[in-house]
Amino acid sequence: MVADIKSLTYQGVPVWRHAQIIRWVVQIVSGVLVVALVVWFFANVTNAVQDRDIPHGFSFLSREYQTPIGEHFIPYESSDTFLYAIVVAITNTLIVSIAGVILATLLGIFIGVARLSGNWLVSRLALVYIEFFRNVPLLVQLLFWFFIILALPVESDAYNIFAGNAYISNSGVSMAWLSPTNTAASTAWITLVVVAIVAGFIVNRRLNRREMQTGQASYPFMAGWATVIVIGVASWIVVGMIAGGSPFAVSSPEPQGQFMRISGGFTLRAGLLVVLLGLVMYTAAFIAEIVRAGIQSVSRGQTEAARALGLSPMETLRSVTFPQALRVIIPPLISQCLNLTKNSSLGGAVGYSDLTSVALTMTQTAPAVSIFLIIMASYLAMSLTWSLIGNLYNRRAGFIGG
Amino acid sequence: MEANPTAPLLPPRSEVGIAGWAQRNLFANWHNSILTLVSAILVALALWFGLKWVIVQADWTVIVKLGGGFIIGQYNTEAACSGQNCFWRPQVSLLMVTTLTGMAWGVAGGGVARIVALSVGIVAAAFALLPYSMETMGMDVRLLLAANLPALLIGWALARYTPLGSARWLSIMGVLAFLLTLVLLRGLQGVPGLQPVSVIYWGGLMVNLLLAVGGITISLPIGIALALGRRSGLPVVKTLCVFFIEVFRGVPLITLLFMSQTLVPLAFPEDFPQNQLFRAAVVITLFSAAYMAENIRGGLQALHPGQAEAARALGLAGWQTTLLIELPQAIRNVIPAIVGQFIGLFKDTSLVYIIGMLDIVEVGRAFILGTPEYRGSSRELFVFVALVFWVFTYGMSYVSRRVERHLGVGLR
Repeated sequence: MVADIKSLTYQGVPVWRHAQIIRWVVQIVSGVLVVALVVWFFANVTNAVQDRDIPHGFSFLSREYQTPIGEHFIPYESSDTFLYAIVVAITNTLIVSIAGVILATLLGIFIGVARLSGNWLVSRLALVYIEFFRNVPLLVQLLFWFFIILALPVESDAYNIFAGNAYISNSGVSMAWLSPTNTAASTAWITLVVVAIVAGFIVNRRLNRREMQTGQASYPFMAGWATVIVIGVASWIVVGMIAGGSPFAVSSPEPQGQFMRISGGFTLRAGLLVVLLGLVMYTAAFIAEIVRAGIQSVSRGQTEAARALGLSPMETLRSVTFPQALRVIIPPLISQCLNLTKNSSLGGAVGYSDLTSVALTMTQTAPAVSIFLIIMASYLAMSLTWSLIGNLYNRRAGFIGG
Repeated sequence: MEANPTAPLLPPRSEVGIAGWAQRNLFANWHNSILTLVSAILVALALWFGLKWVIVQADWTVIVKLGGGFIIGQYNTEAACSGQNCFWRPQVSLLMVTTLTGMAWGVAGGGVARIVALSVGIVAAAFALLPYSMETMGMDVRLLLAANLPALLIGWALARYTPLGSARWLSIMGVLAFLLTLVLLRGLQGVPGLQPVSVIYWGGLMVNLLLAVGGITISLPIGIALALGRRSGLPVVKTLCVFFIEVFRGVPLITLLFMSQTLVPLAFPEDFPQNQLFRAAVVITLFSAAYMAENIRGGLQALHPGQAEAARALGLAGWQTTLLIELPQAIRNVIPAIVGQFIGLFKDTSLVYIIGMLDIVEVGRAFILGTPEYRGSSRELFVFVALVFWVFTYGMSYVSRRVERHLGVGLR
């Protein structure tokens, strides 16, 4: 018997020591194990679905959802379908994620730079901020803000600040905002502003190139902004003359009607406000650490050389240190953006109707399995989009040849 | 040129001492001075209003009222433990923890282990002196708490004067203590005094700590295995690992937790033994392991290929190269990321609210929402909970920084 096993050789090597055979066996065994496990789970789920008559499939998507969604940025009625309700929930998640990412990045860069300030007090303050907000669970922070906002007066007794131009109550913050007076005129003006921004960019690049090539001071930054402002103001006047009135007017919030509901202006609803506050303060602490590490990764010689060439500390940071630090900062920053998107799923705990909270409510009237597949697909799509953005940047900013 | 040099001049007044320090760090130039003044005013305002709130305005009775609920949730209520006193079980677990930290102090012989052990022992023993009435907090409870200090010293003595004083014995006893804690808390059918307590009554900080300790211990090896799998040259293994990591990293944890309660029971036969705390622990561990795998992969990638080549040239086998040469260096280099992940895992244990577990956050929220007379105390409550979390997470990052310095990360 022993002789038989010993004679099992392949290319003169016993099979149990042949590297190639071991590789194949390991792969086949692990593959078969995983497939068997998945098949077993699947069989169990199918059995349970049939035995206990659990609803399944995707036909529910075209049914009416018949449940209100607390907050929505695109029109929504209870009579809309499940599919449309999911789209509404995804928009809610996207809006809070995009606004959150922008605000958290700005605050994070500010605090990260403050952390490296030569001023001892400023640097300590930034450290305290980072160590506190990074180390306390997001849920606790969200609940803290939630109960603070909840303790504010109700809408009919809203605090009135800035001489009637803003109201704060436990249903949100309302403030004066520009609102369109005439659809055609406002659309025309917005289009012209977009044109102005594009023109500004082109002017900026042209002058920048001229400055690089000829060495003449051409003020590309100021000229670009001047182009935007001049075209913007001019088109405001022209559009106003053609339409017979300015394209936008200031609309102030005003308590109206029997219940003193605040209407007009721009309202940041309490749910969105709480989620944004929590997500931005929390994520900014992480981004600040990333920014600090990134700036510190740029070698000291760069700063010293820039200072020796006569650049001011601010110019050094803006045109020498920060652009080089970006290369180190962007990959972890992207993963923070991804975290923020996923963390917005805690919105449900404080009354914001994000994708997760709407979907979890849906499981009461729709098949849970299908709902989960939809949630997972949506979040995976968002994650992939963030990674794609990160990869595009990396390809552009990577060391050439490195 | 002076032929007879006099004694060197002292540095000017403005360069040394407090004045010099302030000149350099606070008032270097005019905009720095403005920055200092503005920040100083902000700090003063924050301190004034903060302290006024903490001392005068805040009403901390909600913390006193909830008391032990923060630590064990509903574990000792009538519903959980009818007709019996179950409070001694978590306390015995706490005694095991202090004994173990005492042993760790003995094994390490001082340094950061001593600081941690002494603070754990002293804080635990100090709970015995809480000014509750004797009816609310009996003498037995107080004695068991006070016993933490002797337990700490016994652990220390065990490590110093018996053969148990090695890192290997410490980890074996740690695992045993964890399993014993689970058995003790869960109880055993038919054993007098150990009446079973369903996991739905487990709560408070106890749940957060159990999930965190279990998750941290198990997610690291799984993460290492996933990282190695992702780097392996075997296409099937690699694909499986990449799939697992990307799916778990791409979806929010609360979705996975909720799924563990609705879908996972369906995926097993109906008579399969399982409970919601265990499922939550598995999900949190796997979620954390996926992130851990990426951290460790980063460490492995940053390693110079010469290390592996030299190991192979010295005649080490493939697995020896990985386990003895590559992994130890890779892990040492990513300690901050790993500890960051541990801290993240601990914070994530607060998400078990989604499956109806009453952890320390949810105990507080349920109390606030359930008792209208304390509705106004939400700020005090969440500030307290935030501080509890902060003490643990900051402690973890402090210990990690000390360990890093000890291992000489970045110096070699």
